[in-house]
Amino acid sequence: MLPLSSHPAHPPGECPLLQVQNLTKVYPSGTVALKDVSFDVDDREFLVVIGLSGSGKSTLLRCINRLIEPTSGRVLWDGQDITAAAPAELRSIRRQIGMVFQQFNLVRRSSVLTNVLSGRLGYANPWLSLIGLWPPTERERAMRALERVGIADKVNERADALSGGQQQRVGVARALMQEPRLLLADEPIASLDPVLAHSILQYLEQLNKKDGITVICSLHFLDLVHRYATRVIGLKDGIKVFEGLPQEIDRKRFKEVYGEEAQEVRAASLEAA
Amino acid sequence: MKPRTPPPLWRATKWIVLLVLLAAAYSLSWRVTQPDFLKLIVAAPKAKQIIGDFLHPDIIEREAEISLIEIPFPIPCGSTEVEAAPAPVRLRVEPACAEPRGIFRVSGSDLGPGSTVVMRWLLPSGGTLPIEQYPVDEEGAFSAEIQARPIAATKDGVPARLQAEVSVPLTRIHVSQAMRDVLNAIMVTIFMALLSTTLGTLIAAPLSFLAARNITRTSRLGSVVYYLVRSLLNITRSFEPLVIATIFALIVGYGTPFAGVLGLVITTAASLGKMFSEAVESIDPGPIEAITASGARRSQVVMYGVVPQIIPDFLSYIIYHWDINVRLSTIIGFVGGGGIGYYLSQRFNSFEYHKASTAILAIIVVVWALDFLSAQVRKRMA
Repeated sequence: MLPLSSHPAHPPGECPLLQVQNLTKVYPSGTVALKDVSFDVDDREFLVVIGLSGSGKSTLLRCINRLIEPTSGRVLWDGQDITAAAPAELRSIRRQIGMVFQQFNLVRRSSVLTNVLSGRLGYANPWLSLIGLWPPTERERAMRALERVGIADKVNERADALSGGQQQRVGVARALMQEPRLLLADEPIASLDPVLAHSILQYLEQLNKKDGITVICSLHFLDLVHRYATRVIGLKDGIKVFEGLPQEIDRKRFKEVYGEEAQEVRAASLEAA
Repeated sequence: MKPRTPPPLWRATKWIVLLVLLAAAYSLSWRVTQPDFLKLIVAAPKAKQIIGDFLHPDIIEREAEISLIEIPFPIPCGSTEVEAAPAPVRLRVEPACAEPRGIFRVSGSDLGPGSTVVMRWLLPSGGTLPIEQYPVDEEGAFSAEIQARPIAATKDGVPARLQAEVSVPLTRIHVSQAMRDVLNAIMVTIFMALLSTTLGTLIAAPLSFLAARNITRTSRLGSVVYYLVRSLLNITRSFEPLVIATIFALIVGYGTPFAGVLGLVITTAASLGKMFSEAVESIDPGPIEAITASGARRSQVVMYGVVPQIIPDFLSYIIYHWDINVRLSTIIGFVGGGGIGYYLSQRFNSFEYHKASTAILAIIVVVWALDFLSAQVRKRMA
């Protein structure tokens, strides 16, 4: 599939931050999660991926940093082929790409500080980090990351002692430790109530606007898409069915992505917001 | 489609065949084991004696003051000269000599109330011949008839001597030698269990990661390692610890604690390896995903994403297995593994049931205490 013409052009001669080319993922069970998906992401974009659950959003995000190995197709990071990268090369690419998860993915029994520091492992001395030794500069970096998301006072608590919203903020702080150029957010608010949802997305927006971190975020709710996205991709059954600006998504487009239950999804999201 | 019901005759036959087979199995097992419930009743007196012994464990002894009194006793009369003993005499014989097989009376007085007297011959040849033990009455006296044994006859003009060992009980009591031996042996057993659990854990922990699907089976090579380690653990786990310990006892020496430790280490490593690997497999994969995504190495992912999740499970399995190993090592002692089990088997072999009872009591106390302790610790960990 060729990139659509509505796609914002990047300056000629300079390659986009991320290029996804003909990405296909077939699971061993035979499920086709992604089918020939291509798109580019420019620096400082806030790209939102929409689609029903099972449409391939999570698989797409995980193929970018190869948490899931794509079956075919390429992902280029700054012109470098992630899909062909050797382990050491892959690690150095991964540490430039932060990730935030729907289920937060914190180590529940570890302290908030340890969880945040674990985001820095890609930079740390492999031997000292194994026995839990961190230089003071890294501890200070972790404190700054926690201050950034407003929960510096919880630094010594166990992760599972925190509320869902606080846990997701720890997740954002952990990603910040990587000093990422790109942040992948896989349904970051699906496990949170609507008020908290906005506060988490506001942190992501701030990182995007103030720090210039490119964001790729998968979302459910249309109103949130309009509020935060600079560009939108719609997935349906693993196929890219929409790519364009958020204001281009109207009822009709939305129905194409979500199918007939779109009405209810939208109503629920409006009510929630 | 109509469900097909088998003909009633066939169904009945099936049941009859099954019943006949079952009856055959039971009659065969009766013939093989030859249960003799009557014997339980016939052997009641014996049982009473043995159980009586077991109900009186050898734990404490009363201290006693022991004194020895000896008098020469010529057999036959006139075989040698005997000078009269100086007064006051506490032990007398009447008459002062006897023909072989003749009966004479020995009596004692002023021996201390409640004491016991053990009479024995000191033979001219230098040997001793026990006679019997007599209680002393409230006045401190005793009296008994003794037969002059031909073996105690005067030899080369030297008469045999009658010896009375008088032990006067004191009010002080102290821990018996058997109790001290038992305490020693049970400490050996506890430390055998501790050492074998520790060594077993050191082997099991790395193996368990290799035998965990979510850690190892990420590549083709990993799959091979996974199946190899898993089969190794399964095969080793099917070895009976008793058998392994017996083999090691034959190799490194019968009755040495080291043999028991070796046997326990192998079974501990196999069963903890399996339990650990299941704990590793049941962890939340989320943190592993998150830490991998941050560009961490595999070792760092395990240390930060896996280890914190498995520590409580591992600790509780280790304590549980220490508990099991204490029980096992008592049994392993019987096959030459050392410790309390070895002590117990030796007491059984020499019919010292009082001492065996002490050992059994110690095992019960220690097993109960460890059971309680491990339950408490595991409760706290959850």
